[in-house]
Amino acid sequence: MGERGFHLEKEIIPVKFALVEKVLDLARANSLWPVTFGLACCAIEMMATAMSRFDLDRFGAGVFRASPRQGDLMIVTGTVTKKMAPVLTTLYEQMPSPKWVIAMGNCAISGGPFVFEGQYNLVEGVDLLVPVDVYVPGCPPRPEALLEGFLKLEEKITGTRRFPRVESAW
Amino acid sequence: MVSGFIEAIKSCVQGVEPVEVSYPEKGYHYALEAGAESLPVVVGFFDEKRFYLECLLCTDYSDVLELVYLFNTHLAPCRVKVTLKIDPQHPVAPSISALYGSASWYEREIHEFYGVLFTGHPNMAYLFLHNGIDHYPMRRAKVPVPPEDQARLDSFKPGEAADSFFINLGPQHPSTHGVLRVVLKMDGEYIEQAEPVLGYLHRMHEKMAENRTYQQFLPNTGRMDYLGAMSFNLGYVLAVERLCSIPVPDRARYVRIIATELNRICSHLLWLGAYLADLGALTPFLFVFDDREQILDVLEGIAGSRLTYCYFRFGGLYNDVDDQFIEGTRAFVKRMWSRFSLYEKLVTGNVIFVNRTKGIGTITKEQARKFGAAGPVLRSAGIACDLRKIEPYSSYNELEFAVPIGEHGDALDTYRIRIAEMENSLRIIEQALAKLPGGPIMAEKVPKKLKPPRGDVYQVVETPRGELGIYIVSDESDGPYRMKWRVPSFSNLMIFPELAKGVLLADAVAILGSLDLVIPEIDR
Repeated sequence: MGERGFHLEKEIIPVKFALVEKVLDLARANSLWPVTFGLACCAIEMMATAMSRFDLDRFGAGVFRASPRQGDLMIVTGTVTKKMAPVLTTLYEQMPSPKWVIAMGNCAISGGPFVFEGQYNLVEGVDLLVPVDVYVPGCPPRPEALLEGFLKLEEKITGTRRFPRVESAW
Repeated sequence: MVSGFIEAIKSCVQGVEPVEVSYPEKGYHYALEAGAESLPVVVGFFDEKRFYLECLLCTDYSDVLELVYLFNTHLAPCRVKVTLKIDPQHPVAPSISALYGSASWYEREIHEFYGVLFTGHPNMAYLFLHNGIDHYPMRRAKVPVPPEDQARLDSFKPGEAADSFFINLGPQHPSTHGVLRVVLKMDGEYIEQAEPVLGYLHRMHEKMAENRTYQQFLPNTGRMDYLGAMSFNLGYVLAVERLCSIPVPDRARYVRIIATELNRICSHLLWLGAYLADLGALTPFLFVFDDREQILDVLEGIAGSRLTYCYFRFGGLYNDVDDQFIEGTRAFVKRMWSRFSLYEKLVTGNVIFVNRTKGIGTITKEQARKFGAAGPVLRSAGIACDLRKIEPYSSYNELEFAVPIGEHGDALDTYRIRIAEMENSLRIIEQALAKLPGGPIMAEKVPKKLKPPRGDVYQVVETPRGELGIYIVSDESDGPYRMKWRVPSFSNLMIFPELAKGVLLADAVAILGSLDLVIPEIDR
């Protein structure tokens, strides 16, 4: 969760059934339904991730929903402006819990290349508006990077990773 | 028109002094200065001679605000720069939106960024900015927004009406291709009035340009229109090369053409998939992305990125193309030729598709001129204006290609034109590959720090969506003093309220899609 932004009140669950929760988490992690929420350049890469070559459906996450009420994952793909900020918050609040947010691209993480002295229209990071679970850097990130973001999110939900981690050659 | 222009305008308008300027240096043919009184007469002359308003912009010179009106004709370029100087203390100018529909939005834009009030404008509501803004962002000195303008900040407030209701299309809506918002006043299923609200992705490119050097601004161009990044890249480097008189080697010019045309096919393919998805056909989306990935592989090999390219440099290219690129391009061209018949079977002959697009959003020639429509939308109205042909840049004049035009100006025509343009692009790539010369890819002695002479230039290129114009003012420093982007989607969207009047909501989506909008380019 983003440290510099504000935190939403933690959901209070009065009774927790440990084993049932674990099974539910497994189901949730393997059927993430993202909200179709394209903002800028990164949205095209998000589309490419879902399409023929990269095929997001392999991870059960290819069901893009046009209505936030049917989705449980918001991928913020692009620059958030001050005019867009209230809209984004409303969309987030419309999503049913439990819900997650992926900040895709440098703009959503920190404002990216559009931060300069005297800027008047930018929210410098979407974590100032909503809590973010996974940050995917890049300008724009490659589809592989977004896929890795999905795997990270699954790991966060279930505690285990779907594939063994590939160590970088460098 | 070019030859007899000075005599024509002198005989019609009293007291103006048109000056002929060097087109290769400046990018426009004539310049003239108008006063606040003579401006309506001058604009009336241009309207009568069937010019279209290319761009309207403002520059803040601290002691004076300068409005620049660029007029041009479609088929034989005769670009005229009309300037109007106004007092920054009392910035008031006459509105020309009654004559040119396209001026309306440009005037609103200038009003919110510079505080110029246009007298006689019907609706001065803010287009781009958010409610919290308290100063005019593009003014050099910090000028607070006066109370009467503060009231205009909330851009659109639907009024009360007995028989009609309002619908918000966007900013989060799958068929607006991003974050466009259109407020629709509906009478049942029919649209009475459509009012686009922009600025949900206003990323301050023009303000940023004033804070950057010429080189530092280069990556921004690819992010302005991410689908036609190469074209925007090309336009910007051509403008700076014109400003600094940098020659470009032959090989670089041909590689630029190949890269730009590959990118154009890429953009049209994505449009095709997205448009059909708007109309309810999801399968073609998967097909076009398959083709698109082939192009991305080829371009990634030379430019290093998949989407927001920054491949061109002032005076040449970032790196040379290799055999792998040439082989990859050849293989793609061969593959693409065989794909058209597939699309033909899947889409063109599909009766649902034809019924949903035929006769929808019909644009007349006069509408296209008045609203400054560009690209395939303009050509669908039957005007064969393609800047690669009319004002050739790079080496387009050495290549052969046709300019497809439409018969009816409807959405189906824009589809046909874009398919024909993809075929044209393939032909251009084939010729350019065959002619590709050897030699260097960078001009010699391009200085690290550019110091262009004082003055302005205008450069146009044909992007996948139409005419892109870049106006740069230099003050002899290493960064631009003012940079204005005349973007095609912005002028194409202006025509939408006209086309949407009285049509069904579902048809409005078909019209909006046929304009091929890219929102970051509109909002800049």
